[in-house]
Amino acid sequence: MAQEAHGALHDLLEVRGVTRRDFLKYCGSVAAMLGLSETMAPQIAAALEGAQKLLPALWINGGSCTGCTESIAQVDSPDVATIVLDYLSFEYFETIMATAGTQAEHNITKRVEEGGYIVIYEGSVMTGFEGRAQTAGTPDKTGLAILEEVASNALAVIAVGSCAVDGGWVKAHPNPAGATGVAAWLQKQNIKTPVVNLPTCPVNPEWIVAMVVQLLLVADRDVDKFVAATKWVTREYADEVTDASVSLLMPAGIYGQSIHDNCPRRGHFENGEFVDVLGSEQEAMGYCLYKVGCKGPQTFTQCPVTRWNRRVSWCVEAGSPCIGCGGLNWVDNNAPFLMRMSDMQLGGALGNVQPGTVGAVVGGVAAAALVAHGLGMKAAGRVGDGPPMETAKAYDRKRGAKKGGDK
Amino acid sequence: MSGHAHYREAHPLVFVITHYINLICMIMLAFSGFYIHFPFFNGFMGVARGMHFVAMYVIIINLTYRIIAAFFVKTATQLGSREVDTDIKNWLPQEENKHQLFETVKYYLFFRKEGVISAKYGSLQKIAYLATIPLTYLQAYTGFAIYGPTMNMGIFSGGLDMVGGPMNMRIIHYFMMWVFIVFTMIHAYLANIYNLNPSKIIFLWKETDH
Ligand code: HEM
Ligand code: HEM
Ligand code: HEM
Ligand code: SF4
Ligand code: SF4
Repeated sequence: MAQEAHGALHDLLEVRGVTRRDFLKYCGSVAAMLGLSETMAPQIAAALEGAQKLLPALWINGGSCTGCTESIAQVDSPDVATIVLDYLSFEYFETIMATAGTQAEHNITKRVEEGGYIVIYEGSVMTGFEGRAQTAGTPDKTGLAILEEVASNALAVIAVGSCAVDGGWVKAHPNPAGATGVAAWLQKQNIKTPVVNLPTCPVNPEWIVAMVVQLLLVADRDVDKFVAATKWVTREYADEVTDASVSLLMPAGIYGQSIHDNCPRRGHFENGEFVDVLGSEQEAMGYCLYKVGCKGPQTFTQCPVTRWNRRVSWCVEAGSPCIGCGGLNWVDNNAPFLMRMSDMQLGGALGNVQPGTVGAVVGGVAAAALVAHGLGMKAAGRVGDGPPMETAKAYDRKRGAKKGGDK
Repeated sequence: MSGHAHYREAHPLVFVITHYINLICMIMLAFSGFYIHFPFFNGFMGVARGMHFVAMYVIIINLTYRIIAAFFVKTATQLGSREVDTDIKNWLPQEENKHQLFETVKYYLFFRKEGVISAKYGSLQKIAYLATIPLTYLQAYTGFAIYGPTMNMGIFSGGLDMVGGPMNMRIIHYFMMWVFIVFTMIHAYLANIYNLNPSKIIFLWKETDH
C-alpha cells in the first residue's frame, strides 16, 4: 500500500498532520479490536480511504454524566479516531450541536422517518418516576419515549459506556432512578433492533471507531452482515428493573480477554511483587496492584492493548488499580475500589461487610465453640475412654417394651 | 464413639492413603487459597497458583477414586470389629443409626449422659462425610469457573452469568474455603475427642485395643 489513494480521508489526514505511518498503525490497532490479524491494516486503510458516503447518526443522551461525550470529543490535537468518527454525520448530538429546540427535535423525527441511521446511546435508561427522571422541557415526551422512537427504525444501536450497557453506576444499589441498560429496555418494549454494547466508564472512543469501521466498511452498512462478520461474546444477566434475563452482545476482540491476562504488571503478579501503598516506589517500579484492589483479574476489556487518552496510558499503567468499570453491575461488584473483594451488602445494622470479615468471624466462632465444647466434654467426664454407652437406643427403650422397636 | 478397639479393618491402607492425600491437598489448597486471596508476604504468587492448580486436580481425582473404591474395597462394618463388608454400605443409611440423629445431637449438646449406639460412622459423622463430596465438587466447579483456561466453557460461563460475574464467583469460592476449614476443624475435633487412637489408625495405621 505504498501508493496513496487520494480520497477525502487522505486530505483530512493531511490537513490534520497525521502521517501515513500513524494511520496504518492505527488501522492495525483497529484490526486487533475487531479480532482480525494486524496484517489486515492495509485493507482497513483502503476501505476507510475509499468510503464515500457519510452515515447518519443520532447521539442520544440518557441518564448520563456526559463523560462518554467528553471521552470522544478529544479535539485538542489531530487524531485518527476523530477523523474516522467524522464518517458519521451526527444529526442530533445534544452536547455539541448548534441547533436547539423544535429544530433539533425535528432532526430526530425526520431521520427516524427516513431510516438508514445508527443510534449511539450514552447514559442509563432511567425508568424511575414514570420516566420523568429524563425529561426536559416537554413533560409528555420522556427520555424513554425518545429512546423507543429512535431505536425502532435504526440500523443498530450502539450502547456506549457502562451506563447504556446495563445501567452502570447509575443503577448501583439502591438505584432510586430505576436505571437500566438499553438492551434490557428495548427487549422489554419488544424492539428488535440489534444493540452493540461497549462498556467501560467512560467508553473508549477507539472502540466506537472499531465498530463504525466494521459497520461502515467491512459490512457495507448491512447490519445482518455486520452482526455475522463480527466475533461476539454474549453476556447474560438478570436485569432487576425489567425483571428479565438479558443477553448483551459485545465484540469479542474488545471484551474477550481479561485485563490481567494482558497486563504489563503481570510479571510482578506472578513473582509476588505487590504495591502495598499507592504512590510508593513499588508502584513506580511497575509492581502489581492486586493488593490495593486491582479488579483486572475479573474484568474483561482490552484496556491494556488499546489504552486510553489517545493510547498514551491507561489506569493500571498509570498506577491506579483497575476498578472494573468494564464489567456488569460494576460499582456493586467492585466497590470498595481499593479492596481485593467487593463488599457484601447485608443491609440493616450490618451494612456493608467484607467477605474476609465474614469468613474470619465464622471460623473464629466455630473454633471458640469447639474449645468450649471440648471443655464441656472434659467436665462431663467423657474424655479418655468415652461416655458410658447406652445398652439400647432411647427410641427402643421408650417404645421397645410395647412394639419391639428397631431390634 | 470410643472405648473400643481401632483395627486396620476400619481404615484399610488405601483409605489411609486417600485420607493423607485429602489432608495434604486441603492444606495446600487452603494455604495457597489464602495467599491468592490476599498475598500476605511477597514473592510467592506464582508458586501459590501452581500449588493450587496441581492440588485441585489431585483432590478431584482422589475423591473420585475414593468414591469408586467404596464399591469394591471392604472395610469393617462395626466399631471395634474385624468383620468386613463393602465400604459403600458404611455410607448408606444403616440400621444402627436409625432414630439416633436427634439423640446424637442431644448427646453433643449435653442433654443426655450416655453415648449413643451407632454404626461405624455415627449419624452426624456420616452426614458430614457425605456432604464433603458434593461440596468438594461444587468447590471444583466454582474454581474452574474462575480459572482462565476453563472459564469460557459454556458450563462455567453460564454459572458466571448466573451469579453475576467472576467477582461473585470468587467470593463464593472463598466462602466455601471457610466451609472446608470449619468442617475440618469439627471433624478433627470430633474424631479425636475421646483419645487420639482414631488418629493413630488413620495416620499411622497403628492398631489400639481401646
Ligand atoms: C499475616 C497475614 C496477613 C497480613 C499481613 C494481611 C494484611 C492486610 C492488610 C494490610 C490489609 C489492608 C489492605 C487495604 O487497606 O486494602 C488487609 C486487608 C484484608 N485482608 Fe489481610 N492480611 C493477612 C492475612 C489475611 C488472611 C489470611 C485473610 C483471609 C481471611 C485476609 C483477608 C483480608 C481481607 C478480606 C481484607 C480486606 C479488609 C477488610 O476486611 O475490610 N488477610 N490485609
Ligand atoms: C477442588 C478444586 C478447586 C479448584 C478447581 C480451584 C480453583 C481455583 C482457582 C482457579 C482459583 C483462582 C486462582 C487465580 O486466579 O490465580 C482459586 C482461588 C482460590 N481457591 Fe481454589 N480451587 C479448588 C479448591 C479449593 C479449596 C478446596 C479451597 C479451600 C480449602 C480453595 C480456596 C481458594 C481460595 C481462598 C482462593 C482465592 C479466592 C480469591 O480470593 O479470589 N480452593 N481456586
Ligand atoms: C486436621 C486434619 C484431619 C484430622 C486430624 C483427621 C482425622 C481423622 C480421623 C481420626 C479419622 C478416623 C475417624 C474414625 O475412624 O472415626 C478420619 C476419617 C476421615 N476423614 Fe479426616 N482428618 C483430617 C482432615 C480431613 C480432611 C481435610 C478431609 C476431607 C476433606 C477428611 C476426610 C475424612 C474422611 C472422608 C474420613 C473417613 C475415612 C475414610 O475415608 O474411609 N479428613 N479423619
Ligand atoms: S495490576 Fe491488576 S491486572 Fe495487572 S497483573 Fe496486577 S492484578 Fe493483574
Ligand atoms: S482498566 Fe479497568 S477501570 Fe480502567 S478503564 Fe479499563 S476496565 Fe475501567
